[in-house]
Amino acid sequence: MAGYSRPTDLAAALSLLAERRPVILAGGTDHFPARVAAGPAEDILDITALGGLRAIERRGDHLWVPCLATWADLGAANLPAGLEALTQAAAQIGGVQIQNTATLCGNLCNASPAADGIPPLLALDAEVELASLAGRRRMSLDAFLLGPRQTARRPEEMLLGLHIPLPVAPSRSVFAKLGARRYLVISIVMLALVAEFGADGMISRARVAVGACGPRARRLPALEAALAGARPDPALLRRAHLAPLLPIDDMRGTAAYRLDAVATLLRRALAGMVPA
Amino acid sequence: MSETPLTQASAHLRHGANIGQSLTRHEGALKVTGQARYAADHHPAGMLHAVLAVSSIARGRVIALDVAAAKAHPGVVDVMTPAHKPPLAQDPDEKTHPFMFRLDVLQNDRVRYPNQPIAVVIAETLEAATEGAVLLAPRYETEPARTDFPAGAHFTPALVGVADPAEAHHGDVEAGLAGAARRLEAIYETPAQYHNPMEPHGIVAAWEGDTLFIDTPSQGLAMAQARIAGLFGIPPAAVHIRSPYIGGGFGSKGVFSGPQVLGIMAARLVGRPVKLVLRRGQMFGPVGHRAPTRQSFRLGADNAGALTAIGHHTVTASSQHDDFFEPAGGVSHTLYASPAIATTYEAVRLDTGTPLFMRAPGKAAGSIALESAIDEMAHACAMDPLAFRLKNYAEVEPMSGKPFSSKALRACYAQGAERFGWAKRPLAPRQMRDAAGMLVGWGMGTATFPALMFQAQARAVLRADGTGVVETGAQDMGQGAWTALGQIAADSLALDPDRVEFRAGSSDLPDAGIAGGSAHTATAGMAIHGAGADVIARLAELAMGDERSPLHGAGNAGVIARAGRLFRRDDESRSESYVAILARAGIPAIEGHGKSATDPAAQAAYAMHAHGAVFAEVTVDPDLGQLRVTRLVGAFAAGRIINPRMVQSQYYGGMVWGLSFALHEQAVIDPRSGRPMNANLGEYHVPVNADLPSIEAILVEEHDAHVNALGIKGVGEIGITGTAGAIANAVWHATGMRARRFPITLDKLIGPQDN
Repeated sequence: MAGYSRPTDLAAALSLLAERRPVILAGGTDHFPARVAAGPAEDILDITALGGLRAIERRGDHLWVPCLATWADLGAANLPAGLEALTQAAAQIGGVQIQNTATLCGNLCNASPAADGIPPLLALDAEVELASLAGRRRMSLDAFLLGPRQTARRPEEMLLGLHIPLPVAPSRSVFAKLGARRYLVISIVMLALVAEFGADGMISRARVAVGACGPRARRLPALEAALAGARPDPALLRRAHLAPLLPIDDMRGTAAYRLDAVATLLRRALAGMVPA
Repeated sequence: MSETPLTQASAHLRHGANIGQSLTRHEGALKVTGQARYAADHHPAGMLHAVLAVSSIARGRVIALDVAAAKAHPGVVDVMTPAHKPPLAQDPDEKTHPFMFRLDVLQNDRVRYPNQPIAVVIAETLEAATEGAVLLAPRYETEPARTDFPAGAHFTPALVGVADPAEAHHGDVEAGLAGAARRLEAIYETPAQYHNPMEPHGIVAAWEGDTLFIDTPSQGLAMAQARIAGLFGIPPAAVHIRSPYIGGGFGSKGVFSGPQVLGIMAARLVGRPVKLVLRRGQMFGPVGHRAPTRQSFRLGADNAGALTAIGHHTVTASSQHDDFFEPAGGVSHTLYASPAIATTYEAVRLDTGTPLFMRAPGKAAGSIALESAIDEMAHACAMDPLAFRLKNYAEVEPMSGKPFSSKALRACYAQGAERFGWAKRPLAPRQMRDAAGMLVGWGMGTATFPALMFQAQARAVLRADGTGVVETGAQDMGQGAWTALGQIAADSLALDPDRVEFRAGSSDLPDAGIAGGSAHTATAGMAIHGAGADVIARLAELAMGDERSPLHGAGNAGVIARAGRLFRRDDESRSESYVAILARAGIPAIEGHGKSATDPAAQAAYAMHAHGAVFAEVTVDPDLGQLRVTRLVGAFAAGRIINPRMVQSQYYGGMVWGLSFALHEQAVIDPRSGRPMNANLGEYHVPVNADLPSIEAILVEEHDAHVNALGIKGVGEIGITGTAGAIANAVWHATGMRARRFPITLDKLIGPQDN
């Protein structure tokens, strides 16, 4: 028989996780639509009453985004230069109602290949912090994402929050989303570009991630390497840089169109990037 | 009962006090404050919740349902299946008139399309019913889905639309083509589309003995009442349907659907009121859709750009088990002058729900294809698209040769073009860019929709206190019927709107005809007009026949009614109030009745259509193919406008649906399972507000002495026609690429020239 729990403290939540391995519910914006027609009998752990897990804050060298922080919270947070891509993504994910209830951590745990939140966090080298009765562990988001709807979270673990490194060098970042309508649209492709700049105006370090072009979002290491030490220049992009991407044909677009669109969006992101 | 002649104004009335006023929406405050109760908001005492289990296959049989598991779930009261259901008095596969369609109401274990109802779980809560439906875990004997359009066996349907011939000829198309200086052959494809009103189909049904009380959205209360009465073997008068507010219908609520019948059956089965509401995904099957079309055009034009032939061949689809054929050829009968026109049809059968009337049935799909073909021919003739349309302006209806009852299309072209700035359009494509480097294109299309009328009745009562009541079972699906018909009601009694109570939205009231075919204002309005005129005529007789009245002896001069008084027509200093006339006569109230129907004589003599011109501006990202409609200007002439504010909204809505047709709407069918893959509003795209930053609708003045005494044509559907083609043509003008498969999506605009 399925059960529903809404504990108010973390220890109780982790005990429940250890005992019953329930499905974790936060914003519910992915959870409920997936269960409209076929609600399996499953235990639900509603974490929305847990205290102290909502406020986004700077902690030393990183930004702490706890598991109940919503996209609207992120959009309203005054993020430092270099994290613009997150603010931009926060405004383009779903509609305002979705942004008001959907959480960043839920977006990661849901691990949709088309999750808008993943490319900016991947490009910003975000780390996830997982909690269980056995303790806590941190890993890179890149290691956390295993595939479509698959993550490295163990059933007894809860994604407690995200650590997003604050820029150490002058930085700029940009998020780009392409959809078939203006708003409220599942992306055809989306990407994020993060660039750190040296005093000479050259890119000292670049990080690029692309979503909806394969089973999970991917970084583009060859492009990152090509950008390092260069000015942001669209001409630096080579088709070979897109090799990690494995898009498919679906109702939102063809594979060929997706690759073409990614190249265009990357060129534009580079062309629009003003050194910090 | 008096019948108001349709082709002449009432002798006793002078219009204008209310008609033509931009009153705000009658029920607006109720709607924005959440007080307007829609069907599913009704929760009678003891009500149970019913949830449909629907087929996940397109074709085959249900061979097992785990009814025991569903029934064992706490809260589940009963499970209705083909083996366990109340009897019906009529075979749901029987058809006795053209508006009757076969229903799937658990008559057997056969599956004819995806999302067909296969069982109904009835429970104390929605959650229990939902879970029960999952626990049924149906097993099927599956046959391959037949979904490949337009492949498959073609046949020629007997009729298309309601009752249009599948083949129509005027002149000799082959000769017209042979003699043409320029010829165009092009094929345009439109996809399957689903109505998707915001409010899904739902019903709250309660039986009291053999009397049935229903809350359900309906565009045709009397038709629904008759359908239900036939199925359940009870008199129509024993069926009481309330439908005061409808959250959109677009044709899908015109004929009573299978799931609505199932709600009534479920209530019968359990002996308690039952509520059944479709989930969004369940709207993609049993409640109609627009069938896909493949339209082949053959146009010929002479050296001066005059059309010599229009050949329009449509391939469309119906379900395997019923007939509805999208009448896409109709637009070619009425729009452009040509000595030779031929429209023909073929069809295939698919494993889908039966297609039905949807947002300008036939006209919308036909219009985007015809307007594209006309644009292509204008380009072939090196003519401006507006000049080409004016060159081929139809002075009489091309197919029938009848004069138009009225046609202010030239004014629509002129006013729309002026407002849009069309004169500055370069003839060649790919000439304009905006500041951001986006390609800019301008396109246009002609809008048209027939001015239809159905049959309706209304009742009007004038009370001794000088207030009135007007009743007809009109249906407001958001179009503004409460407001516009209320204005006609007030006008018909020559009273201020706040002195007249207008009642509508119930099957207990006189039949107002269907809210469809863009004909509701004309149809119900004329019945109301007649009922009010009947009251005023009786009141006038009373006054003129009474020697104590200042109106005594007005005789042939007659009287006119205005603001609650009758005035002698030839001497307005002599007048008397309604209250005084009734008080002296000692009569508590006067009741009048009105009927409306088409006038066969006028129909025989005139072609009756509303017209319009739509101009579109799009921007196209040359590298991404991303498309934005940055501006839409429509100018429409549709006879007398009862409420300009409501009508403008109707035009806006139609134009938004035109954008939706051109760029967004498309059901994507999985060829393996036959299921729609985007049966949700996340992926079945309709435009969002941000997709249409600027929209204008110009109301072009038009007076029509023939359509009906009020001069009303329809405004509900015309906006989608013209608009979709205008956008498609603007895309061509921006890019030089002609999209002939709709909707036009980004990837279709990324061609070799861009890479």
